[in-house]
Amino acid sequence: MGAYLVRRGVRMLVILLLASIAVFYSLRFAPGDPSGVVLNPLALEEVRAAYRERLGLNKPISTQYIIYLSNLARGNLGTSLVTGTPIGDLLTTYGKNSLILGFTAFALSYLIGIPLGVLAAAKRNTPIDQAATALGILGMGMPNFWLALLLVFLFSGKLHWLPSSGCCQPKHLVLPAIVLAAEGTAVTMRMMRSAMLEQLGQDYVRTHRAKGLREWTVVGARAFRNALIPIVSLSGLRLGWLIGYTLIVETIFAWPGVGYLLVDSVLRRDYPVAQFFSLLLVAVVVFANLLADIAYGWVDPRIRYA
Amino acid sequence: MPERGSGHAVRPLGHEALSVDAGDARTALDGRQSRSSSRWSAWHRLRQNPLALVGSLLALTYVLVGLIGPSLTPYDYAKQDLLAASLPPLSPGHLLGTDQVGRDMLSRLVVGIRISLLVGFGVTLISLVVGTLAGAVAGYYRGWADTIISGIIELTWGFPLILIAVILAGSLGPGLLATTLAIGLINWAGFARIVRGEILSLREAEYVQAARAVGVGNGRILLRHLLPNVLAPTLVMASYYVALAIVIEAGLSFIGMGAQPPLPSLGVMVAEGRNYMLQHHWVTTIPGVTIVAAVLGLNLLGDGLRDILDPRLRQ
Repeated sequence: MGAYLVRRGVRMLVILLLASIAVFYSLRFAPGDPSGVVLNPLALEEVRAAYRERLGLNKPISTQYIIYLSNLARGNLGTSLVTGTPIGDLLTTYGKNSLILGFTAFALSYLIGIPLGVLAAAKRNTPIDQAATALGILGMGMPNFWLALLLVFLFSGKLHWLPSSGCCQPKHLVLPAIVLAAEGTAVTMRMMRSAMLEQLGQDYVRTHRAKGLREWTVVGARAFRNALIPIVSLSGLRLGWLIGYTLIVETIFAWPGVGYLLVDSVLRRDYPVAQFFSLLLVAVVVFANLLADIAYGWVDPRIRYA
Repeated sequence: MPERGSGHAVRPLGHEALSVDAGDARTALDGRQSRSSSRWSAWHRLRQNPLALVGSLLALTYVLVGLIGPSLTPYDYAKQDLLAASLPPLSPGHLLGTDQVGRDMLSRLVVGIRISLLVGFGVTLISLVVGTLAGAVAGYYRGWADTIISGIIELTWGFPLILIAVILAGSLGPGLLATTLAIGLINWAGFARIVRGEILSLREAEYVQAARAVGVGNGRILLRHLLPNVLAPTLVMASYYVALAIVIEAGLSFIGMGAQPPLPSLGVMVAEGRNYMLQHHWVTTIPGVTIVAAVLGLNLLGDGLRDILDPRLRQ
């Protein structure tokens, strides 16, 4: 296990290094440079040159990259070009909001999806199962921005129960969390149903039933534990997709999180902000995959890390 | 090292149900022997699966409208006519009405469908070809080619597409180019992953050994004997991936990262109408419902294809 973790850790660092180079270079390819964003369009060429000089933009990109990395290592994250806010401050406020929204949605998708999937499998081919399956198909076919619009239309536009956007009271959290959780809930439900059905067809289930265990124990404890394995193994992937979807959901609901900030900074060409937060999200995704692999071994003791 | 559960974010169990057991050459042989009758029975099974039939009809309609529609519409999708603004559907001259600046909804919708077709089918086709080739080479030849290709697959597969798309939009500027590039960059790995796994388990099958024994070359074995057997799972996956690409394109265009106005991507249309939803809802609901129908149709088609094509699910 120890050796495995070290090797995975090294690989993670290599991926992050490659990703940081890719992000750094690709943003430098962007048409125009920051002086076009910050300075007056009529600014003299001398002023522009001085501005580039101050930001170090006249140095070769490889030198800029090394300077950036050493700044990062010393905890100097830079400042936003547009607002002048230190990126560290942005990280604490926006990061907190993203964590609140992300964890609510992640938990919601499992708290609803897993029990529904188990129920649908246990009551296979009954109206309960069919309703759950229909819900699953609909949940996966519904693009999240469209679901968001419908919910806003109903709960904010017509009923006036909930705000259509903003932050940071619990009532602001309801709609974005539901929208962000919807697809994950549907996927989890379908996965859980198939995994349960596969387990319920196994010999050990028949043995348990034959020796007179209560159905509830067989389904809820024995089969359930084994059916969880594929769910856990894919949770890292699901977390990655959740992070991707936060970019859309946070933007729609103007929820001031990292996803909103990233989309906004790209549109406003605030490169230091875009660069830092893309890298941060890449790091979170890579780390989530590592955690999922570790959790996989924890739920399935047959897996040995070699 | 733990094997990550097979599957994909969109439809994780799809893969699991699809993968043929390693070394189970019998299934493959059965598949080949009954091929003459399989095409007929596939159609027969499709007719018995109403959801799949609905799915394929929806998908077919979508394709036909996207292909033919734009050449039949009488209006320019970007032509504004403020005197005819916000006409409801079924107005004279405007079958689906007009939007808040008087552009004909039907003309915009069919162009929007064509854009999402180009992104959905176009990019998926390219990533299918690239992914299948990469996966086949990795699975069949093993060795250093496999090491390199598998490494790249593992790096890209499962990476949040939307994040890549936004980073690319930062580099290339927001637009369809960044969106399509991101979808292609990630999704080929999904195809490569299944094809590699299938080929890996089929390359030792008896019929492959037999072909090798009578002196059939590697290229011919791959093309004639192995690739036909991975066609079914890749087709199923392709229908999910087209749906995924359509959703991602619309979503990115909706938040301003994809197609830029006045190009009427379905996502752009929904976004432009959202502020008028309480007054004239059709400006958003028409493109919105179109996206849902297309995605639902393709997903149902994928589910149906999986049930029809996977021998292990036949009862």
